[in-house]
Amino acid sequence: MLDQTPLQIALPKQWSDVTVEQFIEIAKIDKSLGAWYYNSEVLYILTGEDIDDMDIDECTKIVSKFKWALSQPSTKYKHELLGMQIKPLAKLCLFEYIDLDYYFTENYVFNIDKICAILFRKSKLNEWDEVILEPYEYDINTRAELFLDLPITDVYGLINEFLKFRDNFLKVYANLFGEQDEELSDEEKAKLTPEEKAEEEDEKKNSKWSWERMIYGLTNNDITKSEAVGALPLTYVFNMLGMKKELDI
Amino acid sequence: MITILGREIPNRLDELTIEQFENITELSNNKEIDPIDRHLQIFASLGIPEKEFFDYDVADFIDLVKEFNSSPKIEYPTIETLEVDGYNYTAKMKLTVRDTKLIEKIAINKPKGYVSEIAAIMFKRDDLTPAEHYADAHIKHKANLFKKLKANIAIPYLMFIATKINHQVDAGSDTPTDSPAEAVE
Repeated sequence: MLDQTPLQIALPKQWSDVTVEQFIEIAKIDKSLGAWYYNSEVLYILTGEDIDDMDIDECTKIVSKFKWALSQPSTKYKHELLGMQIKPLAKLCLFEYIDLDYYFTENYVFNIDKICAILFRKSKLNEWDEVILEPYEYDINTRAELFLDLPITDVYGLINEFLKFRDNFLKVYANLFGEQDEELSDEEKAKLTPEEKAEEEDEKKNSKWSWERMIYGLTNNDITKSEAVGALPLTYVFNMLGMKKELDI
Repeated sequence: MITILGREIPNRLDELTIEQFENITELSNNKEIDPIDRHLQIFASLGIPEKEFFDYDVADFIDLVKEFNSSPKIEYPTIETLEVDGYNYTAKMKLTVRDTKLIEKIAINKPKGYVSEIAAIMFKRDDLTPAEHYADAHIKHKANLFKKLKANIAIPYLMFIATKINHQVDAGSDTPTDSPAEAVE
């Protein structure tokens, strides 16, 4: 439902009136440029109206109508959208998790459309009447576009759901991920000996290529097997890695 | 004006130029210098070299500072039109969103010449289009011209802007939280 202001600007009344695309655009606004820059950009994104020449008293009245935007959207989400259903997180395969981890680490709000594209799948019944989800072989960017026009409230809760899942996953397999060292300050770096500097550089390289290194190891250095490894269930892969580490094999 | 060491020194808003006012404000806000040194620098910016105070009695200097800071409270009338270098400028006690955005940007960056820049935003040259008025180079050029004008021209507008911004804060029009990029519970 859109609210008609006295100035005839149609404003959303709640988060469910805001699309995924608008939500991403709002999140990308540079807040350091000031509250009025932010307000005018938000109004432009939500209404398409350029309000630069509007008196600020009038604009203040409009802005006061979207106080609901000060809170977060609902953390609920839909399990079925656009004829697709969500893939249970516990059933993620390795490549799906790696891609989700990348998009979350980069910025999960800016990438929420791509996150949806990974998690929502077409499905069919097999000969045993079991639900089969489509394999992870489609183009994420094309799929992501489908989600841009949906209300943000349909999908926002997925962020929390995956963060909880990842948090738990990292705890369960903490011995495989190891300790994450904090980035050294410039002053601390200046104090390092040449050996320590080389060690730090090695750690950086290892961290940068950690997933690739893991896959390279799992395929016994045969990259033609990467796709097959990537399609394995995440928990299976990590259970195997855990076993290898514990038995030192 | 007050007389210090035989010199006439401006201390009222209709005597100080905007540039002098900006210098004094900057020095007054600098808490890293002690009050005596701060006022030595203020007087230096108004034309009395620091060395002339070297033999001055501290108690007398404090009295001078008190006199300098005790200018009478005057309600300066709002000046809405100006003529500078042959061009007419008009200002209104009215803020558009675009004005406010620019003023906010100045407030965030706090350049030394913020008063003249705000005056440059408020006073619009009568013969220019809005696009020309808001051009960054034009605002900077005008701010340089306005530095030489008396501070009482700009102060009513600064007060008006401060009142407006307070009103907006009261109305709750501040920036929505950073929540979209934060972890959710």
